Amino acid sequence: MSDDMEKLYEIRLNRYKTAMLNGKPDKVPLRIFAAEFSSKYAGFTVQQATYNYKIAFEAVRKCAKDFNWDATVLNMIYCWGGIIDAFGQKYYRLPGLNLPENMGFQYVEPPDEETAYMHEDEYDLLIENPTEFLMNVWIPRISKYAAKPGETNIYLNNAAWLKGGIAMMKYFNDFGEAGALLKSECGAVSAIFGILKSPFDVIADKFRGFRQVCVDVYRQPKKVEAACEALMPHLLKNALLSSDPSGTLPVSIWLHRGTLFNQSMYEQFFWPTTKEIIIELWKKGIQTLWYAEGNWSKWLKYTAELPEKSIIYHVDKEDIFEVHKQVGEKFAISGGIPNDMLAFASPEEVKAFCKKVIEIIGKDGGYIMDAGAIVMSDAKPENMMAMSQAVEEYGYY
Amino acid sequence: MSIEKLNPKAGEVVPWQVKEKEAGKIMGDKEIIKKEWEDIEALAYRYVWAVVTDF
Repeated sequence: MSDDMEKLYEIRLNRYKTAMLNGKPDKVPLRIFAAEFSSKYAGFTVQQATYNYKIAFEAVRKCAKDFNWDATVLNMIYCWGGIIDAFGQKYYRLPGLNLPENMGFQYVEPPDEETAYMHEDEYDLLIENPTEFLMNVWIPRISKYAAKPGETNIYLNNAAWLKGGIAMMKYFNDFGEAGALLKSECGAVSAIFGILKSPFDVIADKFRGFRQVCVDVYRQPKKVEAACEALMPHLLKNALLSSDPSGTLPVSIWLHRGTLFNQSMYEQFFWPTTKEIIIELWKKGIQTLWYAEGNWSKWLKYTAELPEKSIIYHVDKEDIFEVHKQVGEKFAISGGIPNDMLAFASPEEVKAFCKKVIEIIGKDGGYIMDAGAIVMSDAKPENMMAMSQAVEEYGYY
Repeated sequence: MSIEKLNPKAGEVVPWQVKEKEAGKIMGDKEIIKKEWEDIEALAYRYVWAVVTDF
């Protein structure tokens, strides 16, 4: 790595770290989470980037260089086609396979009780031991190939477990090289390290599905609550095992269903275990990027209970100015540049809005510029450039 | 057919106690064997839970 690139990396790492801890760096960091935008900009189809993750890594690096990103995610097209085909998850549709080649991968939610990946009478199994539930019940149900214990084993079952494991090791291992190349070629920082989901989101997304869990919260609320509690130590452990060994970069929590339920349900099901995990991570010095997809403003008073600096509050559809007023003293804020603005507005409009956000939210530091949600292929490159220019012109302290 | 319950904790898929029972009298340093077992358990655990959280 050249000395200049090394120096640039250190400046950017320090800038990003300082802002994440709600401090005032030299400049507002520009940290972009881009998925299919990167592959389109770099001249690849979505299928190419979804099936060949090294293409996705390369596309992100091109964007990091061209748009002068301080930090970014190595690959936001996280659903690598190779591993899905190997392990056989039924719940994905993939570009080029069963979707048009330029459509992003799709998660197919189970629409009813019959097709749910966890049945209504299986809460006790999940609660008793979540890992055994995954291996014995859930994985055999979500994989085309996996056989349930007691069923006739088939060649494809053994092959799926073998291939899935090897593929995952290879993929996660290659993230190391990708991070090193992002650093040496672009001087940019890998933005996040590690993954967290809320226990309730796991049940609502991957196990029961939204429609089914909407029934469960009325018909068997104690079971739902107990299931969240049973999942909690595992999601914490998973976050710790996947986290940055240096403790510098945050774990990311991808927040989904909490906004779709009323206050009493948020208090009973979503919040307690989510809060506990984040606090436990912070006790070990690990920040969480609170990636609040949609609008989480109605729950701000709960999020505000979290320890100071334990999260970076990411704004998607919320009013970033209001979020800043309410929790800006405690937490750094990221995001808030609307994705529809990046798709439909003019570069001048984008730049003007970024300037406003920088001047108000970023005034005392603790702001990281990003789009509200992951940048897809509809964002215009000239608007992404307008964000970069705004940070360069208005972002220095 | 009833499924054998091994009751793994967070961070493991097959508890060390299962291996220890199967091995019987361990003739050398148990901790050397246990460490490798548990390191691989953590990888396997991450694999299984990554299907939930990452994929």
